[in-house]
Amino acid sequence: MSFLSITNAVKTFGTNTVVKGFDLSVQKGEFVSFLGPSGCGKTTVLRMIAGFERPTSGKITIDGRDVTDAAPNKRRIGMVFQAYALFPNMNVFGNIAFGLKIAGLDKAAVETRVREMLGLIGLANLAERYPYELSGGQQQRVALARALAPKPQVLLLDEPLSALDAKIRVSLREEIRAIQRQLGITTVFVTHDQEEAMSISDRIVVMNGGRADQIGTPSEIYNRPRTRFVAGFVGTLNVLKAQVDNRSPHKVMVGGQVVELAQPVETADATGHLSLALRPEALSLTPSETRNVTFEGRVEGVNFMGSVIRIRLKVGSEIISFDMFNSPNLVPPSIGQTASAHFASRDAFEISA
Amino acid sequence: MTLDVSASTAELGAPAPRRRGVREIDWNWLGVTPFFLFAFLFLIGPVLYLVVGAFQNAEGAFTFANIIELGSPNIVASFSLSIRLSLLSALMGAVAGLLLGQAVILGGLPVWVRNAFTTFSGVASNFAGVPLAFAFIATLGRLGLVTVLLRDLFGINLYASGFNLFSFVGLSIVYLYFQLPLMFLIIAPALDGLKTEWREAAEILGASRRQYWQMVGLPVLTPTILGCFLLLFANAFGTLATVYALMGSGFDVVPIVLFQQIRGNVLYNPNLGYALALGMVVIMGVSNTLYLILRNRAERWQK
Amino acid sequence: MKKTFPVAAVLTALFAASFFIVPLIATFYFSLKMTRGELGFAAYASVFNSAAFLNTIVYSTVASLIAILIGAVIIVPTAYWVRLKVPKLRPVVEFISLLPLIVPPVVLVFGYIRLFGSNSWLPLTSSAFGTDVLLVIGYVVLSMPYMFRAVDNGMAAIDITTLTEAAESLGASRLRTITTVIFPNVRAAIISGAFLTFSISLGEFVLASLLNRPAFGPYLVQLGQDRAYEPAALAIMSFGFTWGCMVLMQLFATKKPGQRWLPRFAQRTTP
Repeated sequence: MSFLSITNAVKTFGTNTVVKGFDLSVQKGEFVSFLGPSGCGKTTVLRMIAGFERPTSGKITIDGRDVTDAAPNKRRIGMVFQAYALFPNMNVFGNIAFGLKIAGLDKAAVETRVREMLGLIGLANLAERYPYELSGGQQQRVALARALAPKPQVLLLDEPLSALDAKIRVSLREEIRAIQRQLGITTVFVTHDQEEAMSISDRIVVMNGGRADQIGTPSEIYNRPRTRFVAGFVGTLNVLKAQVDNRSPHKVMVGGQVVELAQPVETADATGHLSLALRPEALSLTPSETRNVTFEGRVEGVNFMGSVIRIRLKVGSEIISFDMFNSPNLVPPSIGQTASAHFASRDAFEISA
Repeated sequence: MTLDVSASTAELGAPAPRRRGVREIDWNWLGVTPFFLFAFLFLIGPVLYLVVGAFQNAEGAFTFANIIELGSPNIVASFSLSIRLSLLSALMGAVAGLLLGQAVILGGLPVWVRNAFTTFSGVASNFAGVPLAFAFIATLGRLGLVTVLLRDLFGINLYASGFNLFSFVGLSIVYLYFQLPLMFLIIAPALDGLKTEWREAAEILGASRRQYWQMVGLPVLTPTILGCFLLLFANAFGTLATVYALMGSGFDVVPIVLFQQIRGNVLYNPNLGYALALGMVVIMGVSNTLYLILRNRAERWQK
Repeated sequence: MKKTFPVAAVLTALFAASFFIVPLIATFYFSLKMTRGELGFAAYASVFNSAAFLNTIVYSTVASLIAILIGAVIIVPTAYWVRLKVPKLRPVVEFISLLPLIVPPVVLVFGYIRLFGSNSWLPLTSSAFGTDVLLVIGYVVLSMPYMFRAVDNGMAAIDITTLTEAAESLGASRLRTITTVIFPNVRAAIISGAFLTFSISLGEFVLASLLNRPAFGPYLVQLGQDRAYEPAALAIMSFGFTWGCMVLMQLFATKKPGQRWLPRFAQRTTP
């Protein structure tokens, strides 16, 4: 039973169709992320849910009620903006109390509820401060509390962490997820950061050019990407040119070697060429039984990234990038060295060109 | 000294020896000396001279007599007239400017309308003084175009009904021509600064348009509006040429009174003149300072 | 969000527009009525034929230009120095540059007359030339807030500190840096400030009148008392002049360093 559903939403600005037919069903209490590059339409869909944009066609229902034409101030939705949007003339208390005052709650009820929200975000001692006196992370938490105070049915977050420092981004997204779980509120989260989306979402909608390319759990999106775009956008991807092997529908030739795929080949073109995708973690410098395919090449680059070392290997005319875990006694290969990368056949998957 | 130089030369290999710290500071201050000299000689000096002179009598002894004489009925009447005119003009300009700003920037009109008004305001706010007076005489004077048109087309006899361009009310209408643009130019960025997200956030929290303006929009704009009001007040208070060109020397606003004093047309009492000047500077100084304070407050919120 | 026709906004805009335009139309119309019974440019001809007009406008133009020059010479190096060497003094300098906005011209000229009068320590007003000097200085002071702000903004836009460091790290002397790097980049800002100064100084009345100089401002007032149609013609010309100055000021304020003044007509071929 879907709580929030969007049916065939289309949005056109003048001659530009920004959303080209979008469908989604969100369950009650679910945390769904819209993931995609700028201009893919994710914020537009969010704003259609909020009511700031009216769909050119299509329908939006919340808890069974058709809200497609309802005004934003009548939808009982909470929204957190990228730029925090805290009212500068009110202190933290005033900001959080705003929605409650509009709803007509009496002073005592407002006080209780605001104190409750302040406790939820852990800023009880900052109630008297004004927005300009708060850090970015603090402001965003207040914005969250303000959105949640009037007990909305749906929570929308429009790239709420993009304006914050990297460390705050990580800790705050965990906090948002924890609060969301605690309250059980249906949530839609827009971001262009795939790590963010994958780490906290129940499901992800990967959007591209106004359409949803794939909707699935983080694991599905990462391990079984349906389109080239999804595969490339979520995580790093190595793409290799391969050739169909006539001996078997599962076999392809890559760089002179036979690779047996888990699924039969589907996307080969007329000349028998296709593209294979390989995640960096599927490759390793160390051989093993399961890793039955070996590529030899010249080390082009070694990037020390902390816990992970990323190596770029030139195999023939292609560059493969893969990761190895850092270890205190490990000596990474040096540039110019010859090295071998090993991977298991079944870890390679076809990808549309 | 030799140790220093050789050490640094060895380190840097640079041919020029390092300047010593003290020499450097001297040079820096020397750079701004012309400016300060000019300012003291031709701006601060003359004003201070007048301020000090306000507290002296003809022999140079310290006295409050001039300040007290500011309380004489004529002078008080002048200040009262100036202040009333400036308040009215500032109020008219502030309200009109705010309404225009609201209409042009937030009212959903095409962008070229805003640009046209902005460009025109840039010119109109500087088009004060004598030419402006002439323009309004040609418009609303006894033989002005509008006066004549109203009489011939609509049968309204402007001057018979009590209106007179050469009056308190008429003057404030003339002032509006440069006060309105000034208000518009200053309020425009403030209206821009009203982030759309605030309106959207308020809306999604359930507020109607009116509630948004009442609880967020106007409170955020208030420091800027008040500050601008004070700026308009000071602007009107200091105006002389426009008044003079329109009313001659008979309309006793404070700048005109001082003007006559200097001209020597009235009984020449320089120390009273100083007191008048002091009064003007104090009033202008206070209103401009308050304007700056309010502007800083507003900017802090727009962060 | 439904889109309704913004009636109130349109009415407000129209009302304001007419308030601005009607006086201009009225003045222009009035200025054409000098010859009885017909519309013509007799008033304008009369103005241009008048010797007093030519003399006073030449006087005021020269005075304004000299004021611009002096202003630039004082303010530009100061603005540069303050940004580069003594940033701590910047608030002080900025405050001083804004003081003329608090001091009405009538107070300023009063101070001048007393401080530099015939029996003072520097009797500038005893001679015509000395008074001319005083007038020009007065114009410099009056335009200081605008000149300083224009130049300061121009310098802020090009990040003068970094430019100077870059030039010096490449071996340029201070003077060379100023002439070849700094000055060309703030030239537009200076010209922008100059136009504003010109617009303020040309028709200035208070200083000129009280210092008794044959400037354009007092001429205007006198004409207003003596004639009927010529003042209207002058008002139109003055408005046009102010408009021209503002347009040019904006043009130079937004001109980027190195931008072409006129559009390119022929493509330059690179070897």
